[in-house]
Amino acid sequence: MSKSVLWGLSVMGALACVPVGAQVDHSAHMHPEAEHAGHEMLFDKSGMVMNANSTVLPRGCEEISANITYTVRAGTDYAIEEAGRIFGYDQYDFQVPPCSKINVTFINEDQVRHQWMLHGLPRYLYPQGMFHLEASGGETVQGSFIVPEDDATYLVHCDVTQHMEKGMKAQFVVGKGSGTLWSIPGLSADFKFDSVSNRIASWLLFCSTISAFILLIFFAKKGFPTR
Amino acid sequence: MRAIVWLLFGALLSALLYPPQWYPQRLRFELAQWLGTPSYNVSSNQIEQDADMSDLERVCPDDLLGWRNAQIIEGVSIAATPSCVADNPYAIAAFVQGTNNVSMDTLMRAGLTPDALEKGADLDGDGDPDEIHIRLEIAELNGGSPDVLEPTAQYAIAPGITPGLWVFAPKTFGMATENFESNIAQAMLRSPSPSIRIEQGDRVFITLENTHYMPHTIHFHGVDHSYLRADGAGNDGVPMTSELPVQPGQSRTYELSPRTAGTAFYHCHVQPQAHILMGLQGMFIVEENRPNNTLQSMNIGAGQVRVRSVASREAYDQEYDLQYTDIDSKLNNIIQETNDPERIESWLHGGYNLTSARSNLFTVNGRAFPYTFRESLIVPKPDQHIRLRVLNAGTEGLALHTHGHKATATHLDGVAQNANVQVTRDVFWLASAQRVDLDLNTSNDGTHSYGSGVWMLHDHTGKGTTNDGIAPGGNMTAIVYDEFMDENGWPITQGENMAMFFSESFYRRDEFAAEQSYTLFSYLRIVAFGLALGLMLAGLTQLMLQILRGRNV
Repeated sequence: MSKSVLWGLSVMGALACVPVGAQVDHSAHMHPEAEHAGHEMLFDKSGMVMNANSTVLPRGCEEISANITYTVRAGTDYAIEEAGRIFGYDQYDFQVPPCSKINVTFINEDQVRHQWMLHGLPRYLYPQGMFHLEASGGETVQGSFIVPEDDATYLVHCDVTQHMEKGMKAQFVVGKGSGTLWSIPGLSADFKFDSVSNRIASWLLFCSTISAFILLIFFAKKGFPTR
Repeated sequence: MRAIVWLLFGALLSALLYPPQWYPQRLRFELAQWLGTPSYNVSSNQIEQDADMSDLERVCPDDLLGWRNAQIIEGVSIAATPSCVADNPYAIAAFVQGTNNVSMDTLMRAGLTPDALEKGADLDGDGDPDEIHIRLEIAELNGGSPDVLEPTAQYAIAPGITPGLWVFAPKTFGMATENFESNIAQAMLRSPSPSIRIEQGDRVFITLENTHYMPHTIHFHGVDHSYLRADGAGNDGVPMTSELPVQPGQSRTYELSPRTAGTAFYHCHVQPQAHILMGLQGMFIVEENRPNNTLQSMNIGAGQVRVRSVASREAYDQEYDLQYTDIDSKLNNIIQETNDPERIESWLHGGYNLTSARSNLFTVNGRAFPYTFRESLIVPKPDQHIRLRVLNAGTEGLALHTHGHKATATHLDGVAQNANVQVTRDVFWLASAQRVDLDLNTSNDGTHSYGSGVWMLHDHTGKGTTNDGIAPGGNMTAIVYDEFMDENGWPITQGENMAMFFSESFYRRDEFAAEQSYTLFSYLRIVAFGLALGLMLAGLTQLMLQILRGRNV
């Protein structure tokens, strides 16, 4: 389980391009347990809550180990002072014990849509492996879910185009977790470097350093020319 | 003495190894007289054809969800799509009835939020809603990422061609990609920005919810709108004169109530030399006021209008929105090179110079050939009148040529032309931002139409029919008569097998055909020649040094 979650959240693997036809049937294949979870669903002008579950325990959990409440604020005001960050959350690192029930109140302080979307949960309980909060501009939504018993690190992000890339990326660590994600604002480095940096200049510098080194060796052996 | 031996040996070797492809023609001719012609080489074309063709895509993907069919959803009668890829009919139904007036099931299938496009009261009492509130977001397609090396939220305009794009998009919910495992943008997020359709006299509110990381505005080019809003704020979308741009995370509502009908244009007016070409451009159509005229207020990806206005149904049999534009990948791909908006901004401002730029990609309705054949075919029957609303939103001129037909320009820049002086011709020139409404008459009379067939429809400027200079590509599509369409929506043609164009490698620039006449042996010969020349030069240097030092040679 933890291996597969690790794969699920290793962003390189998860976002790797999988060719898909022009049309994809998004209707989730409902698992009996998922149906029993009676997901509290909200979908109106204020936003949406998908796959909320405050009753059904994930497999392997005996009971709800803790009841944890988070209030997460989102918007441009929370972008940290770091290159490439325009949007942000007020917290990026969530740490909870296994089998705990999480209640998230998501407050969107911008005038545009934002999301608090968590990926990699077991699909037998959470369709598409997802717990999803989405708030329209200025709105607040809340929902609960119960985390599985395994130690794992889950990806939380806003999937409006470029919002994750520009700062709305957090990690949700259950138990000991399964590593740290890349490019979490204020927490971990970007995986990819800007390729805008002067490529030609860097190559020239590299080549001239090598040449200088070779010449140095050559002269050190042969003796430097005297005139 | 040894230096002279090296020099001579090097010179001899160089002469022998001199690559034959560099011999003077005269010398090759003379040598062939003595030694005969060189041996036979396998033709480079043969090598090319033996190359791996495993990247071929499906020409026409299956219509798994039946989106092409004629259907009635939410009481809206939606016409069939003859082409192989169709718009989501649930979204169309929601755009007709208003996202506030349809069921949750329809919205879920459409992927739209309940406030994406609201329709309110019937102000003039003629049976259709006149209060329209449209919310537009801005999506970045093929953008950069600090995590993955390839572009994110991918949208290919042609096989393997993914220029960075900014587009206006309807307000959707959930994931921007098809699913978590995919990096391909979901169908509602695409180029071009949606065509917007409202009725003359409607009270229209358009809210720009700036989901993007750059400031933006909307300017309504050619649409009747007041310079100031009722509350005194600017309403023209021009940062220099009417209002400050909408910052990331902020929103702004524009108000308009157009008195005149016509085909117009909307675009962002922040740094227009860059933002418009990044894709913040769309068609804005004001339809004539008629009773019971409930319009399809958004047409995703432009193209065929599946729910038409009363005026269109009165005079025409079909209607298509055709939005042409051009792209310079040097501008558009900057967003893939860096994740820092400040660096992107400095590139747009002072790094990129539009006056010395050249567009290399040419699209119609957000796609270049061969993808244009999947979704932008015009499919008439004989003796029909087809309305084509054409916008050239690019920087380059468009010489739109209709093979087999001479169309008639009924409106220029949204203004009706006197019936006696309407121009009928087969090439229409559109400068940047110009619009023309064409009446494509398919009566086989030797002028308007030469009869049934598969007739190309393309920009005749030459480069417009290429993808970065590789043909066939660009904004080519076709007028395909009904009887020449197969049931899957693909034209029945008699020429080349078009499957070979559905390949990334076909449009890859580095596989340069002319290079292939150089075989591996030719390159080895050049290397050997270079080494021999080096030997000779080494001998020469040694000799010079000895002379300089005054030694006896």
